[in-house]
Amino acid sequence: MAAVLGLIVGVVVGVFVKPDIPVVLQPYLPIMVVAALDALLGAARAYFERSFHDRVFVISFFANVLTATLLVFLGNQLGVGSQLQTAVIVVLGIRIFSNVSSIRRFIFRG
Amino acid sequence: MARRREPRDVLEKMHSQHAQDKKNDRMETGSFPQVRKKPKRDLNRNASRARLLTSALVMVLCALLGFGYMTQINNTTSTYETMSESELVRLITESNTQLSNLQQRKNELTSQLNSLKSAVDEQEQAQRIAKQNEETSGLLSGRLPATGEGVIVTVGEGRDEKVDASIMFSLIEELRNAGAEVIAINDVRVVATTYIKDADTGLVSDGVTLTPSYVVRAIGNSQDLANAVNIAGGVGAQLQVKYGATVTVETSDTVEINQVRDDTQYKYAKTVE
Repeated sequence: MAAVLGLIVGVVVGVFVKPDIPVVLQPYLPIMVVAALDALLGAARAYFERSFHDRVFVISFFANVLTATLLVFLGNQLGVGSQLQTAVIVVLGIRIFSNVSSIRRFIFRG
Repeated sequence: MARRREPRDVLEKMHSQHAQDKKNDRMETGSFPQVRKKPKRDLNRNASRARLLTSALVMVLCALLGFGYMTQINNTTSTYETMSESELVRLITESNTQLSNLQQRKNELTSQLNSLKSAVDEQEQAQRIAKQNEETSGLLSGRLPATGEGVIVTVGEGRDEKVDASIMFSLIEELRNAGAEVIAINDVRVVATTYIKDADTGLVSDGVTLTPSYVVRAIGNSQDLANAVNIAGGVGAQLQVKYGATVTVETSDTVEINQVRDDTQYKYAKTVE
């Protein structure tokens, strides 16, 4: 409930407030969003499995975002930024897919 | 338990012993002191507060996610900095082809516009010519009233001889030769098909009986027209000498000829296709 409410509030605020993202942060924002999405879907899966825990979610959220950002940052430092970005996106995408599929199983099994 | 005093006799000893036993038989003995258990911890003591706090945190995180998502969506249009070189090159090529396409389209439209403009010009020209033609032919055929510089020739009744058709015809011919553009005799507009013939009461022109005195109005160069009538041995002199008629020639800057006639319907003549 709180999560859905928070999403709605965030989207509404994002529609009306259009901040200038610093150039330094620009390549990382999409990765951050995808990582956060992965954390959110993982939390949803845990919720369906009755093993959802607030603190775990919060920590996994931050850990996901931080790890993804650090990976891309490292890639940029090493000169393979776009490749590593792709890799991170692919991995997160796979995780999102598996989370979604297990959520789907929970929903449709009963 | 320490004994507080010595028993004085057996009975009392037994009593005290009994009391002592009874005291020691109690469950809550001093020898097995009850271990004070830790008070059972209330698991639900802080639960509601913690739940509120964590759900607020979850909400904030989700809001952050949504906000980041929308920001990224708003920002995707201007993220050329994050693009790789190949992507930028591709974008430039795409833009160039689009530009050339648009240029071509613009040229096409411009030429189309020019042709349309010239067509409009031609149409205007044609319209102007048509209007001019209509005016001149209208004047020629007598459909339109006319005004302008000219002369008014008044021919009175002949004293010696009746003014006949031939002299009136030659008067009209003289005026025409002198450059008269529009001519009218009394109420008859003179056109190409106009005839004049003699009748008992005067003259008949185009089926209309003319009675003296005859007023001939002609539009043209007034000086030329007046000269054509007044020239020595000309038609004016003939009228005065031979017919004894009074001839007055009056030049005017505004001769109005309001007599008009309907369009003639040609029965035999057809235009050549």
